[in-house]
Amino acid sequence: MSKIMIIEDDEVLSLELKELLTLNGYEVELVKDFKNTIDAILNYNPDLLLLDINIPYLNGEVILQNLRKKSNVPVIMVTSRNTDMDEALSISLGADDYITKPYNPNILLLRINAILKRVNRISNIINYKTLIINTQNGTIKNQDKEIILTKNEMIIFAYLLNNKDKIVKRDELMTSLWNNEEFINDNALTVNISRLRSKLFKLGYNNIIETRKGQGYIIS
Amino acid sequence: MNLKDYLKDKLINILILLLSYFIVFLLLIAFKVKISLILVITFIFLITNTLLIMGDYYKKKKFYNNILNNINKLDKAYLVLETINKPEFYEGKIVYQILYEINKSMCENVNLIEEQLLDFKDYIEMWIHEVKRPLASLSLTLNNNKLLDIKLKSILKNLEDYLEQVLYYVRCENAASDYYIKEVDLGNIIKNVGIRNMDDLLNNKVDFKVEKINLKVYTDSKWLEFILNQIINNSIKYKKGKNSYIKISAIDNVDTIKLIIEDNGIGIPKSDIKEVFKKTFTGENGRIVPSATGMGLYIAKNLCSKLGHKIEIESIFNEYTRVSITFAKNKFYDVLK
Repeated sequence: MSKIMIIEDDEVLSLELKELLTLNGYEVELVKDFKNTIDAILNYNPDLLLLDINIPYLNGEVILQNLRKKSNVPVIMVTSRNTDMDEALSISLGADDYITKPYNPNILLLRINAILKRVNRISNIINYKTLIINTQNGTIKNQDKEIILTKNEMIIFAYLLNNKDKIVKRDELMTSLWNNEEFINDNALTVNISRLRSKLFKLGYNNIIETRKGQGYIIS
Repeated sequence: MNLKDYLKDKLINILILLLSYFIVFLLLIAFKVKISLILVITFIFLITNTLLIMGDYYKKKKFYNNILNNINKLDKAYLVLETINKPEFYEGKIVYQILYEINKSMCENVNLIEEQLLDFKDYIEMWIHEVKRPLASLSLTLNNNKLLDIKLKSILKNLEDYLEQVLYYVRCENAASDYYIKEVDLGNIIKNVGIRNMDDLLNNKVDFKVEKINLKVYTDSKWLEFILNQIINNSIKYKKGKNSYIKISAIDNVDTIKLIIEDNGIGIPKSDIKEVFKKTFTGENGRIVPSATGMGLYIAKNLCSKLGHKIEIESIFNEYTRVSITFAKNKFYDVLK
């Protein structure tokens, strides 16, 4: 389980962020004492840091600058300042990404996931039961049988597999597709899911993607 | 300043001079002075007075015409005092002093108002950033409690859009704008705008068709995202019946890149098309959609001209609206690379 540390002085916001991330399978720690932020970060040793710019004592940019002398932990700046200038400054100080408030929770999760994947060099191979899924070249293998998924089908399947045992809303799948520049509509999503199901059926897996009515889809 | 009007102005002086000459002339006749002497006196009188009048005329002409010319040449007429020399003659000195005092008082006033405007801009920016915090908390809280349905999402997005519009209005009206031009990926910007409007597009069943765009342009990405957001908001707002779509494509020309956003919405009536970029203009379509503020395209145009992009709109009523943004390819930047 990846550890994420949140540095945000707005109490409501930080608690809600914690809840969102915990629900999505991360271990989360909040910084409460902003006087010794850097020590707190180094002590907790997180896999990723969500850092607000407007915080008491030292602002986020200064913290980032000092932190970079001691640690390479991935940092996402989360702020309500939305100019390119602020963003460029943060990136030049060593931030890995920059998200402005108010953010779309799905996008925040996707960005966190993308960075962790990059840092941890998570491989492109996902194993599920006897299936070997290669997200890079879009193939699924079951023993000696192999089929090819389209880009859209692979995005959907990979997202469901990465969120195994969790109900995935259509909305989340949509965001993940659009985030990959596949701007499809509702009908196309339905079509893609049924094509994916029939391809999986050919490999001998019937109904691994279950529909939860009014909620979404789940692979368990 | 011309001679005719000057002489007209000096008419009384000239008449008095002539009258005095005439009296002297009569006196000379009465004292039986020789006719040759009278001619010499007349000659001297004419020469000296003409020289005096013309001398005065040219001195003033030089001063006033200089001011008038410079005023015409300057785009900020109030700076004229900086361009002229302090005159030597008494009348000119008074005029100069008056101009100086007026100018000074006006500058003080303008400075005061500029300061107030800048304070106001800072305050608005700060305020908007403050408001975004509770807005972020609200949307996360609703999301975590599974209360964030389509309706609330759309309300929250409206709030965000209106907040942002104010922010960019303040930014585009201000001379000292804080933009940052760098090379950005056009496809990435379209993706961000797309995701931002995803819910609205899906709920309104507007297809978002984006051609593969592998082009880079020089711009401020946040500003461009705002501009595109305004255009796409309009397309959604003014969609027409079924099979609505927004099509985004780009043309790579020799020295420009043209981004085209086309929809098949209700279009803009011919009588309105020239006005759409004007402040608070809503036109015929504004009567159909009650939430039209007439600010979106005005701000978009303003931002475009600051960034050096050209924004154009063409439309056939009831058929389509096509907005294009033209980016210059900057050879200067290419050399630097």
